[in-house]
Amino acid sequence: MRIAVMLSSLIPLQLPSRMQTHLWYILPNEVKSESLLKHYSELLSQPEKDHVFRMQSDDLKKKNALLARTLVRTTVARYQTNNNTVVDPRSLKFKKNVYGKPEVDWDVHDPKLQFNISHTDSLIACGVTANVPVGIDVEDKTRKMRHDVLSLAKRFYSSEEVKFLSSIADTEAQREEFIKLWTLKEAYVKASGKGFSASPFNTFSITRSDAGSYSLCGKAEGWKFMLLDLAASSHYAAICIGGEDKDEEGMNVIVHRTIPFVEDELISDWKLL
Amino acid sequence: MASMATASTSLQARPRQMATAVRCFSQGSRNNLSFTLRQLPTRLSVSCAAKPETVDKVCEVVKKQLSLKAGDEVTAATKFAALGADSLDTVEIVMGLEEAFDIEMAEDKAQNIATVEEAAELIEEILKEKA
Repeated sequence: MRIAVMLSSLIPLQLPSRMQTHLWYILPNEVKSESLLKHYSELLSQPEKDHVFRMQSDDLKKKNALLARTLVRTTVARYQTNNNTVVDPRSLKFKKNVYGKPEVDWDVHDPKLQFNISHTDSLIACGVTANVPVGIDVEDKTRKMRHDVLSLAKRFYSSEEVKFLSSIADTEAQREEFIKLWTLKEAYVKASGKGFSASPFNTFSITRSDAGSYSLCGKAEGWKFMLLDLAASSHYAAICIGGEDKDEEGMNVIVHRTIPFVEDELISDWKLL
Repeated sequence: MASMATASTSLQARPRQMATAVRCFSQGSRNNLSFTLRQLPTRLSVSCAAKPETVDKVCEVVKKQLSLKAGDEVTAATKFAALGADSLDTVEIVMGLEEAFDIEMAEDKAQNIATVEEAAELIEEILKEKA
């Protein structure tokens, strides 16, 4: 699709409610226009441009790195308005927290919006919350590991999780459960903002209740999880948000597929796993 | 051929040698080809504490895990992020390195390695402590 007309400006968005996550995703295959990609690259900071163009040889990886930064900048910008106009995505500054988690570097202290990003070769996602920390992780459902799933689990997962995976007879089902757990664990580590080394995967367990909800074993400390089946069932998406143990409200999510400056599509056919 | 390519891109100061065919002549029904070895000037190196063999082995594990194409370069200076390795790839690379070198890598140290060189240096540190 050629962009022959002026790109529309970004449409402003309302912040999510407290237990709500807004999940925005791009399917790189849908973004083919060179002029659109050029427009995106103009939104990036110099260090971001350097990072994108330093990606080795692989054009797909370069494009995805570009789309990931574009998604973050345009999405965060849409939740920030100055008299009803969205702020310029180029004006946003980002920093990393002491553990390396990317955050917005606000000029004026505005801790309300929190975001987290994750991507695979075929899907780039950004989760947004207000007032609570958020972590997301997406994974291609068909991803194969080079190592045996149980060996990986024994090396990196908790003993309860190894027990659970070992009890699955079918190797394909076992691989799927491994990936689901991976996304949930990754989402938790990213939500907590302390990184892999502060929360090694074998120090916590995530289990699924009979009712079908995922939670942390032991002291849940308010962390909540959702696992979705996304994008024509091609991906798992795990969302973890912070909260309080006494929260009675469950978490919910609103999902959109987007092409920044071009279109948003509200997605209703995602499945809760 | 592959090892020549590695030698030219690695950040190591070590003597390089090149075999040059110096003469090719015919004598009756026989052809003779003789070779001399000559020293090439050593390249200036950025210091990398790890041995080239360790670096090469790390590169092999990384290439295998990420299914890199023949043209993709992995050298001591290569950053894992630039190769597009995600966290699951990183974890599999760690496991691949542990198997290749018969070692165990602590979570926190493994997480901090950003380049092939750093992985190789950490591995040698572990091997030294093991010995």
